[in-house]
Amino acid sequence: MSEQLLSLVTQYGPPALFGIVGIAAIGVPLPITLLLIVVGSMVSQGAMNIWLALAAASAGSILGDQAGYAIGRFGGTAAVEKLSRVFGKKAGLEAMEAKAHAWGGPGIFLTRWLLSALGPWINLASGTAAYPWHRFLFWDILGECTGAAIYISLGRIFSDRVLALDSVLGDMTWAIGALILALILGWQLWKRLRR
Amino acid sequence: MADNWRPTLAIALAFLLAITGALVFATRATHQARHFRTIDQPIHGWMSIPFIAHTHHVPPSVLFQAIGVQPREPHDHRSVRHIARELNRPVPEVIGDLQKAIDQAKQPPGGPPQ
Repeated sequence: MSEQLLSLVTQYGPPALFGIVGIAAIGVPLPITLLLIVVGSMVSQGAMNIWLALAAASAGSILGDQAGYAIGRFGGTAAVEKLSRVFGKKAGLEAMEAKAHAWGGPGIFLTRWLLSALGPWINLASGTAAYPWHRFLFWDILGECTGAAIYISLGRIFSDRVLALDSVLGDMTWAIGALILALILGWQLWKRLRR
Repeated sequence: MADNWRPTLAIALAFLLAITGALVFATRATHQARHFRTIDQPIHGWMSIPFIAHTHHVPPSVLFQAIGVQPREPHDHRSVRHIARELNRPVPEVIGDLQKAIDQAKQPPGGPPQ
């Protein structure tokens, strides 16, 4: 499926990019980082306009995120549970809801581009937790535009090393995610040991 | 008393696991970053011919010629998979021809080094 989506982008450009990042933002696991890096490489080869690429990537993701938020906010628990079952993330949703409140805006910002695997679940959780929509929209726009700019620029700079770059970024993201988890657990452990 | 220690022990184990994971992935990322310029770049079915040419530093015309395809003007964005379907050939076979053409184009004049 990833191969077909990537070939859609290389063939049809911004409209395909818009649709794919939008679907991914709702929760379908797709290789969006690789996609944006490939787009950056296409920009450097003159096969795509950079502004169109940035606009399509940002707008598609933002629309998808807003759809996720709306499902959480207005679809009720049943809709969220159904979606969670489809994508196999039910167990983590309550925890995500707590995180959406605890982390607030910076959490939304970081899950748009750095810890992007958590993004769709933060969208749903922000909706169910009734996180204020205008704040969600602000952090969402900021995060998605940042993410699109970073990954498309990296793809543009390292346009002949797309797969290698994706591999490095993938490992770096996991390392950062594990480090954040270690910090949270370390903090919990320290509090418990001090009691 | 023992019950109070169970969650603490679980958190400590999870903490160690997370630290190990962070170290493993950081090491892998560093290793890949070091060999960034030399890591092999395989050809995939989703790639277009100009994209493959760019990543392997060979002229697109060499690759189009290798698979016997006339490029479309001004940009030919057809993927390898798409071209293979048009040529009625298996994708791995087309990829093999492209790889061969890349290897030949990268060989120094006068053949491979002895």
